[in-house]
Amino acid sequence: MARPLLSRARPVWTRRLVRTGLFLVLMLYVVFMAFPLFWLVLTSFKTQGEVVMATSFWPQGLHWANYRDALFTQGIFQSVKNSLKVSLVAALATLAVAAPAAYVTARRGGLVEKLFRGWILATQTFPHILIIVPLFIILAGLSLTNTHTGLSLVYVVANLPFVLWMLFGYVRSVPVELEEAAAVDGASGTQILIHILIPLMIPGLVATGMYAFITAWNEFFFALVLLKEPELLTIQVNLARFRGVEGFVRWGPLAAGSVLATLPALAVFAFVQRGLIAGLMAGSLKQ
Amino acid sequence: MRTARYLAVALALLLVVSAATPLVSAQEPVRLRFVSLAWQEDAIAAVKALVAEWNRTHPNIQVEYQQVDWGSIHDYLVTSFQTGDVPDVFHYESPQVLDFGRMGYLTDLAPLISDDLRNDVLPNFWETVSIDGAIYGVPYIVEPFIVLYNKDLFEQEGIEVDPSEPMTWDELRAIAKRLTKDLDGDGRIDQYGAGLPLRSPANRILNLSMAFDGQFFYQENGRWVLRVGENELALPKLLHDMMYVDGSMATEGVGLSSSELMAGFLQGRYAMIPGVGAFTRHDLAALASDSFRWGVLPHPKATSARQGAVSQTLSIPAASKHPREAMAFIEFMMTTENMARLAYNDWLLPTRQSSLELPVFTTEEYGWDVVSASAASLSMANWQVVPGYEEVRSKVLNPLLQEYFYDRIDEATLVQRIEREGNRILERYR
Repeated sequence: MARPLLSRARPVWTRRLVRTGLFLVLMLYVVFMAFPLFWLVLTSFKTQGEVVMATSFWPQGLHWANYRDALFTQGIFQSVKNSLKVSLVAALATLAVAAPAAYVTARRGGLVEKLFRGWILATQTFPHILIIVPLFIILAGLSLTNTHTGLSLVYVVANLPFVLWMLFGYVRSVPVELEEAAAVDGASGTQILIHILIPLMIPGLVATGMYAFITAWNEFFFALVLLKEPELLTIQVNLARFRGVEGFVRWGPLAAGSVLATLPALAVFAFVQRGLIAGLMAGSLKQ
Repeated sequence: MRTARYLAVALALLLVVSAATPLVSAQEPVRLRFVSLAWQEDAIAAVKALVAEWNRTHPNIQVEYQQVDWGSIHDYLVTSFQTGDVPDVFHYESPQVLDFGRMGYLTDLAPLISDDLRNDVLPNFWETVSIDGAIYGVPYIVEPFIVLYNKDLFEQEGIEVDPSEPMTWDELRAIAKRLTKDLDGDGRIDQYGAGLPLRSPANRILNLSMAFDGQFFYQENGRWVLRVGENELALPKLLHDMMYVDGSMATEGVGLSSSELMAGFLQGRYAMIPGVGAFTRHDLAALASDSFRWGVLPHPKATSARQGAVSQTLSIPAASKHPREAMAFIEFMMTTENMARLAYNDWLLPTRQSSLELPVFTTEEYGWDVVSASAASLSMANWQVVPGYEEVRSKVLNPLLQEYFYDRIDEATLVQRIEREGNRILERYR
C-alpha cells in the first residue's frame, strides 16, 4: 500500500502554519525585491538637499520639479520612446531569426549542432569594446550609423547567440512525435513550424523575447558610440548625463528620469508575465 | 545651321548650370558637431544659448550641440578617433588632451588661434595644453582648490581669518586642532577641525604638493622617474599626522569624495574642508539653509601657494573636415563675455585676464574674489606630461596613498613601494 503524503497526514493547523510561514517568507522576498524601486520613487520627489543630507527616508514634500527637469530639460520622454522602439524592434527581429535557426539546429543534431553551439560560446567571450571599431566601420559603409535601424541591428546580432542557446532548450522540450504525427498527416516543414511548434513554444519565445528586450533596453555603450543626434538618444545614454565629476550627481532629476524609464519596461513585463513564467518553467523537467 | 543653333543653346545651358552650381553649394551651410560635457542645468543652458546665438548669426556654419557625460567621454572619443567619425569641436580636460595630441589625434591650434585670445589667456594655462610649441586645446575654465569654512564655528572659537591672504599649512593644522571637540563628553569626537576628500587621492595630493615643492616626477637622462623625497612626503605626512596624531582630521574622508563630505560640513561635523575645488560652492549654495553661514578661504601655502591646475578645454580633432570653421566657433565661445558666461555658470574660473576682471568674478558673494585671486597660483603639475601617469595613478598612487591614510602602511613602506612599483610601470612607457 502506498504511503500517504505527509501533507495530507498533517493536521489542519499545521498546514495553516506552514502556509502562513511560506506567505511571510514570500512577502519578505517581495519587499526585498521591490525596495530599490520604492526608494527610487521616494528619491524622485526629494530635493537635492534632502538626498545629500539624508535627513529623512520620506520626502518632505512632492518635489515635482525633478520630473519637469527630466521630461522637459533633458528630453527623457523622447529617449524613452527611442529606447522602446529600438528594444521592441531588436527583440522581435531576434526572435524572428532565432526561432527557425534554433529549430533546425536542435532537430538536426550531430556536427551542425556541435559547431553551432561552439560558435555561440565563442561569441560570448568577446567584450563589446573589442568589436566596436570594425562594427562602426561596417555600419558607416551601410549608412547605418546614427540611425535606430543600425542600433537595432547591432542588438539583434549581440543578442542572437544567447537567445539561440535559450531556444534550443525550448525546442527540445517539445516532443518530436507531435511533428512526426503532423508530417504523417501531410504537413510541410513550414506548416509544422508555424502551426505546431511555435504555438507550443510561445512561453519560451516570450521568455527569450523579454531577455532580448531588457538587454537592448539596458545597453549603453553601442548607443553612446553609434548615435550622435540628441533626438535619437536612448534612455541609458540620456540618464548618464545627470552625472558630473567628483561624485556630483543631480540625484532628483536622475531618480525621476529613472522612474519614467522603468515604467515602459514594467508595462511590457506586466503584459507578458504569464507567458514569461510558463516559459521559465518549460524545459525544466526531463520528458 | 540648326545643329549650330542647338549647340549654342546647349552651351548656354551648360554655362547657366555651371554658374549656378557653385552658387548652390556656397549656400549649403557647413555643419559642425560640438560635444560638450556641461552637465548642470545652468551650465547646459549657457552652452545651449551660445550655440543658438552662433547659429543665428552664422547661417553658413551651423553647430549641432551634443551632450556627453564625463564618465563616458574617454571611450566615446577614443572610438571616434579610431573610426574617423569625430566631433568637430569637443570639450575635455588638459591631461587627456595632451595625451591625444601626442598620439596625433588632434589639430595643432597654434597657427589658428587669434592674437587676441593667445595674449589674453594667462600663460600658465596655455602651458597645460602645449607640447613643443603645439597647442592642442584652448584652456577656458579652471578649478582652483579652496578651503570652505563654517563661520559660526570659527567665531565661537574666536578664530579670525583673512580671506585675502592664504594661511600656512601649520596655521591650518593649529586651527583644526582648536576646532576638534567632543561635544557630548562621551569620549568620541563629534566635531572635527577638518575633513578632506581622499577617495582617489593621487591627483589631489600631487597638485597640492606643489606648494611644498613636491614634484614626484623627475627627468633623469631624458627619462621620467618617480621619486618620493622629503618635499613629496611633506603633505601626506602632515595629513596623516592630523588624522592619527592630532585627531583633528576625520579619517572617514579617506573613503569620501568632495560631494560626499558636504553633508558632514553642513551638519557641523567638519569645521572646514580644505582641498576641495571651487565648484563645491555650487552644491553648498544649493544645499545650505539661510541660517548656515559659510565662507571661502584661499588654499594654504607652504613654501609657496602654488597648486597644480587642470584646465577644461575645447579641441579640434585632426580628422575634422572643417578645422577653420571649428576654430571660428571656438573663438566665438572664447570671447571675454562668452568665456565669462560659461565659467560663471559652471562656478569655475575663466582663463582670460579680461574675463577675470569682470565684476562677477571679483564680488565677495560666494567667495568669487577669493577664487579669482587663486588664478595666479595655478600652474601645470608635471604629472600631466608624464607618459604612463594614468596607470601609475590608478595602480600605484591611489591604492598606496589610501593604505597610508588608513594607517595600514608606514612612511618608509609608502615611499619604497611607490618608487618601486611606479617606476616599473614608467619603464614600460619609455
